[in-house]
Amino acid sequence: MYKFLIITTLLISNNLYAMDKMHDHNSKQHNHDSRTAVDGSKTRLDDAMYNKFVSNLDSSQVVIVDVNGMVCDFCARGIEKTFYDDNLVKKVLVSLETGKVLIAYDNAKKVDFGEIKNIFLSNGQSATGMTLKKIT
Amino acid sequence: MGIYKFIVLLVVFGFTSFVEARPISWTGGSTVMYKSNSMMSSYYYHYSPSFKYSVGAEYINERYYNDQYISIRSTYLLDRKNTKESQRNLYVTASLSTKRNDEFYYGVHGDWETRRYFTSFSMLDKRSNQKNYTENELQIGIAPYLGEYNQLHTWIMLKSKEDTRDSKWKTYPFIKLFKGDFLLEVGSKESHWDLHFMKRF
Repeated sequence: MYKFLIITTLLISNNLYAMDKMHDHNSKQHNHDSRTAVDGSKTRLDDAMYNKFVSNLDSSQVVIVDVNGMVCDFCARGIEKTFYDDNLVKKVLVSLETGKVLIAYDNAKKVDFGEIKNIFLSNGQSATGMTLKKIT
Repeated sequence: MGIYKFIVLLVVFGFTSFVEARPISWTGGSTVMYKSNSMMSSYYYHYSPSFKYSVGAEYINERYYNDQYISIRSTYLLDRKNTKESQRNLYVTASLSTKRNDEFYYGVHGDWETRRYFTSFSMLDKRSNQKNYTENELQIGIAPYLGEYNQLHTWIMLKSKEDTRDSKWKTYPFIKLFKGDFLLEVGSKESHWDLHFMKRF
């Protein structure tokens, strides 16, 4: 039984690794498409949440990101911590209910969706779209 | 990986142990945890160089064998599927004792959760010249309310657990609470009990 389990684990791991590679390949293709078509058109804003977030902000850039896999508070803890590592980030709001994260950047920040996607990926979630708004 | 393949994996690996909420942290994150039950207690620290794997050291006190040792342990995320409503994970883990070269364990752990429901399984197979046993575990849970970020989150859970040393499945309820970077799980049935505390930073 013990040997059977090891062999089964190795076989399945190998299979999963291959599928993972295939998924990565597909993701890269998707990523390319996303970068050229990120217009946030599918991002539905929660007005109350947004207004509260920007209420005490001065001139800033606010990014609203749609996130997949953000299903629990405990697994989303790293999002806030990682964004605050950037000195140009003024404020972060995680909303589990809407599956969105709002980030307020200083105007000096050159907002890049690829960079934002990587931050979410490093936390184990997937960013699927974003909207950028300017606060004056 | 489709959900059907995931279900097949559950069946292949059987009912399995040692379910930890998120055995890997975010990239660069650290976790400390304390776990105690009627068979053992442990202190565990792990670091995640990437969201795909963690490495750490665990001090284990096996009450059943009156044995204490430190093991080096690693967990790897084999597969993750994120959707708007859910996340599904499959991990493998392995550990090697620093006390005896022939003592090690390995296992597999899978979970699927939404903000409302949680299911998981795990299996841990421990091997050495003196003690061979398997811990199998299944969990299901429901959140009675949907907490927002930074609020207290509560889960009502049901755990079914087998330790092949006594060859009995024990099923009992437990409660899981988390707020901020802290998580606490407490459960008990007759002489059997579980306590699990975790902090991330």
